[in-house]
Amino acid sequence: MMLPAIVTWSVAAPAVGAAFAASLVEVVEAFTIVLAVSALRGWRPAVSGAAAALVLLGAIVLLLGSVLDRVPLHWLQLVIGVLLLLFGMGWLRKAILRAAGALPLHDENAAFAAERAALAEAAKRRDTSLDWIAAMAAFKAVLLEGLEVIFIVIAVGAGRGLLGAAALGALAACVAVLAVGAVIHRPLSRVPENTLKFGVGVMLSAFGVFWTGEGLGVGWPGQDLMLFVFVALFLAAGIGMSALLRRPAREPAR
Amino acid sequence: MTVLLDVLKELRGMFLADAKLSCAILGFVALIALLIHDGLDPTIAGFALLAGCLTILAVVTAIESRHLVRKN
Repeated sequence: MMLPAIVTWSVAAPAVGAAFAASLVEVVEAFTIVLAVSALRGWRPAVSGAAAALVLLGAIVLLLGSVLDRVPLHWLQLVIGVLLLLFGMGWLRKAILRAAGALPLHDENAAFAAERAALAEAAKRRDTSLDWIAAMAAFKAVLLEGLEVIFIVIAVGAGRGLLGAAALGALAACVAVLAVGAVIHRPLSRVPENTLKFGVGVMLSAFGVFWTGEGLGVGWPGQDLMLFVFVALFLAAGIGMSALLRRPAREPAR
Repeated sequence: MTVLLDVLKELRGMFLADAKLSCAILGFVALIALLIHDGLDPTIAGFALLAGCLTILAVVTAIESRHLVRKN
């Protein structure tokens, strides 16, 4: 009697977790830019730019929702599965390279300083419409990061009717970042971004294999529980690759 | 207009940031689809898909790491 609940939870928990963690990364990046805008030009352009982007994102969600309802499930699973493989394995590859030290880690303080410098430069070049430039910077940041959040929510939720649960995970991430950001008023540089990206890359890659397989007609043994096996294998591969690629740098110089 | 271009750039970056990785994934999924179409047991094909994706990840990441080490 408990099996259906376990199976549902087994696919809902990774979906909600992936949506929360991935959204956390994206919202932190958007928050850094909105904060830079507000530090330079005040809250009004920052909030108006971000609000306009959220309205546009809402319209995109409504449009996509009506389109997704008309796509046959196995085609939806196949397309989303392949997109998840492209997106998730791309994130995982970059997270492995960062963990191995081959790529520098993302630095929110540096991103904040760069955004402030770019806005100050734009202010020097153009004396008029500075609030407009600032609002556009906030608009673009929220729109571009929000698009990734929408894709992740759809990707992890659409295949099993878990869009609501995945959206709740993303919403929880937004609330968490805004709550912490409102208190500390600084870029959230202590968020372990690469660790989160590593974990999200693992989960999205696992979902990618799962949905692509289902879209191609594969009946996975153990059904949804097979997701945990895929997560374990991608995690082991990621950790193993990070260790392997880090090793040459640790060899003592002769 | 620049916003639209930025959106398109972002979408390209989301899915096609590394051409080698993207081509390898798309090509391998197409191969698996073809094998299933030609009668390969779907469960075996599924595990081949998993093994292939893990191999692609390892190979592409190792190549990129070597490239970055040489560059620096």
